[in-house]
Amino acid sequence: MTRLLSRRSFLLTGAALGGTALVAAVGGVGYLATVDVDGPDGYIDGDRAVLNAFLTIHDDGRVTIQVPRTEMGQGIHTGLAMVVAEELDIPFDNRITVEFPVELASAYANWSGAMGMRPEEAQGLLAWAGQRAISAIPLIATGGSNSTMSLWHPMRVAGAAARHMLVAAAAARLGVSVAELTTAEGAVRHASTGRSLPYAELARDAAFLAPPDEPALKPRDQWHLIGRAQPRVDLPAKVRGEPVFGADVVLPDMLHATIRQAPVFGASVARIRNEAEVRAEPGVVDVAVVDGRAVAVVADSWWAAETAAWRLDIEWTGAEGTAVSSADLRNRVRAALDVPEPYPTLEEGDVEAAITASPDRVLEATYEVPFLTHACMEPMNATVLIRPDGTAESWMPSQSPTFLRSGVMTGAEWAGVELGEVTCHVTINGGAFGRRSEPDVPAQAAFLAARHPGRPVKLLWPREEDIGRGMFRSAAAGRMRAALGPDGLPLAFDALVAAQSLTLSVATRRLPFAPSPDGDFLSVEGLDKAHYALPARRVRSVHVPSHLPIAFWRSNGYSFGTFFTESFVDECAHAAGQDPLAYRRALLRDSPRHLAVLDRVAALAEWDRPLRPGTEGAARGRGIALEQCYESVVAQVAEVSVAADGAVRVDRVLCAVDVGTVVNPDAVAAQMEGGIVWGLTAALMSTLTLEDGAVVESNFHDYPVQRLHNAPEIQVEIVTSDLPPGGAGEPGNVPTAAAVANAIFAGTGRRLRTLPLTQVETIGERRTRTVLPAAEEA
Amino acid sequence: MVAFLLNDTGVDVAAYETKPLLWVLREDLGVLGPKYGCGMAQCGACRVLIDGESTPSCIVPVGDVAGREVVTVEGLPAADGRLSVVQQAWLDEQVPQCGYCQPGFLIAATALLSQNPRPTDTEIDEAITNICRCGTYPRIRRAIHRAAATLAQG
Ligand code: FES
Ligand code: FES
Repeated sequence: MTRLLSRRSFLLTGAALGGTALVAAVGGVGYLATVDVDGPDGYIDGDRAVLNAFLTIHDDGRVTIQVPRTEMGQGIHTGLAMVVAEELDIPFDNRITVEFPVELASAYANWSGAMGMRPEEAQGLLAWAGQRAISAIPLIATGGSNSTMSLWHPMRVAGAAARHMLVAAAAARLGVSVAELTTAEGAVRHASTGRSLPYAELARDAAFLAPPDEPALKPRDQWHLIGRAQPRVDLPAKVRGEPVFGADVVLPDMLHATIRQAPVFGASVARIRNEAEVRAEPGVVDVAVVDGRAVAVVADSWWAAETAAWRLDIEWTGAEGTAVSSADLRNRVRAALDVPEPYPTLEEGDVEAAITASPDRVLEATYEVPFLTHACMEPMNATVLIRPDGTAESWMPSQSPTFLRSGVMTGAEWAGVELGEVTCHVTINGGAFGRRSEPDVPAQAAFLAARHPGRPVKLLWPREEDIGRGMFRSAAAGRMRAALGPDGLPLAFDALVAAQSLTLSVATRRLPFAPSPDGDFLSVEGLDKAHYALPARRVRSVHVPSHLPIAFWRSNGYSFGTFFTESFVDECAHAAGQDPLAYRRALLRDSPRHLAVLDRVAALAEWDRPLRPGTEGAARGRGIALEQCYESVVAQVAEVSVAADGAVRVDRVLCAVDVGTVVNPDAVAAQMEGGIVWGLTAALMSTLTLEDGAVVESNFHDYPVQRLHNAPEIQVEIVTSDLPPGGAGEPGNVPTAAAVANAIFAGTGRRLRTLPLTQVETIGERRTRTVLPAAEEA
Repeated sequence: MVAFLLNDTGVDVAAYETKPLLWVLREDLGVLGPKYGCGMAQCGACRVLIDGESTPSCIVPVGDVAGREVVTVEGLPAADGRLSVVQQAWLDEQVPQCGYCQPGFLIAATALLSQNPRPTDTEIDEAITNICRCGTYPRIRRAIHRAAATLAQG
């Protein structure tokens, strides 16, 4: 496992360092960037006292908490604000405001996430160097389910340090010793005299005090916020429909833009056959070829731009050799499983020897998944203003102000404009799922803005561009083999995956050089089954190139790897004639944390009792799956009904999860619920089809997703744990596909090894049902 | 010019009559609650009430609402700003994740409850066809039942 981590840290450090434009830009970001990342100092600004990089107390008692992680639905603004409020001893009420900081300060860098370590545990030269390098850029990014992991400790320290400074300020004011003072409810109290000073009255003094080196953190048994469900700070605005999203940005004199990108990725614009005609459309201000690869229409309203863009007649060129179909790519992925020397990521014990030794007890199965896209509810957008003096300002629902900024600089470069200071505003995201860490959209917007100095340009992609011309989750195939011992448990477990390297694709878009395509650590996620007692195991991978751009996609490799392995473990259990739960329990004999989660989900599902029979002769089945990912452990049981005509309905999904220390339990539950629905869409419904190199699907009518009527009942239980916090944003969807496939097998005896497991039939307006494929296709 | 009633206020807007109501609201009237999600009546993010009916505003030419009453999510709270029963239920159940789809769901749920004050799960399934990519469906269902219960208490 060490090996995976060090590869990961190399990649992300490399990715961070490679952004030369970013490094060059560090000079001008102001005060916080110059402060040591370990302990920013305070200052006073107008009516507010800034105590440190995370915390501001206003004269009127309001508190602003800076959360440098993107709120994209996961509730991180609430969770991290709770952490500060806990240590600071302030009530968690509407006097707290959460902001995504505009300043790109070193203290906000996600060095620990990039390096796969926890700040509180990071030690040694590599950690020190990585922290320095990543904080200097600074690489600020939200992803990998690591926001709580990366900021839990720093923000506790920020709250505790500020509390310490406020107490010191009160001690000086009252002429008493610090030891006589306590804090509660946003005030410092002197018990013996009954005097009480609210923080707001102390903050100006406190801001000039030196923060303590290592402030004592509140012990767990004194927590009153952490671990207790708090209402999300962003929801009142969201139920009022307030304009909090990037798509809602409105600025004076703003221009609106839409775009048409090459149907085949990699093609470029030969010419626009009717540019004059499109320019003459009402409201149109500009028609521009963007980076040679797309055509944008700029107008005085988005609707005017979009209707004009419908008329665009573009001749594309340069996509030779990419006229592939889904079948071609599928064959390519399958064939990759037979390359002579896959990249060996992990080998423990002698897998081949074990397999050769017991040939009659060897199981082998091949699984496949298709290309997918994110389809975030808020379509891709970015707004950029480039002033005549070369300074720029940008607004985007982005997962990373760092990549927003690098995108803006790239776009300006395309236009031949040299930029000065670039200010980045990260808005609330209408979903992100890995898609919005890409610099493509802000680059396009900046290119257009550079053509209209002094006027903000808001670029909004129509949904069709998002589904068919965007970024994708790779198709993948997995070949699993196991040799079962006399007790039915695997003596050897062999996982081979063929997928397009996510690392390579992501890095190529950000770095001046391409990392090796082999040994992508993200493609092999979910394959090692480190928590299962397996005497020998092996993980290997093969990179399968395609012309499609692959992006981070909620849970990355786990989104297929866990489907492969947890389906296969089920196959092993059945081959051994054992109950899938009992089988996994045996495999978890050395992993008590995982066993507790498994047992909890089994209890929730009442696994020891038979499923209630289905209505009208429908077969019923339930399946179980478990994974460790993002420092969390998650297990799910899916219960399905399969009607006589093959219609598959997922009736109920039970979920148990151990995310370590829980900050906001309700937000964790919500992430599991949402993850399950996400996982069901991938398990049962979505696929991207290629014809002549281009994606066929374009909108929700042909890229179906779960809706209310197919969403099952979901129950989530959080297994309490004192371990440090793990991730919650991605684990929820990880076991879902395997649990459903295992349930379909239990109910029907049919082992489906290809996602989506079912075919989607339209049964009315915006209504679908999912049906088992004909037997020979299975 | 197209005149209609928007959230209890008369508006008169100079836009092409063929421009979809969604874009007239967002661009000509600065009403940003209704969202663009698909532009083809698939996702429901743009839903508004037109004479009380939940309608995807992305496919309604603004000319069609002349003289009619349009309510967006901004029009759901009471005049004093108090959240509607449905909005309050949404908050109590902590429904939204990213929140982008929620204005459309709030409109769809409001319309459903005005026509059917105690909907069953099946009736909810039939009435609510919006998309939420964050997967808030279990909470949406709970919030609709909660709002129905509150309304029943009067
Ligand atoms: S934007 Fe109108 S239904 Fe999707
Ligand atoms: S809450 Fe994000 S799409 Fe529904």
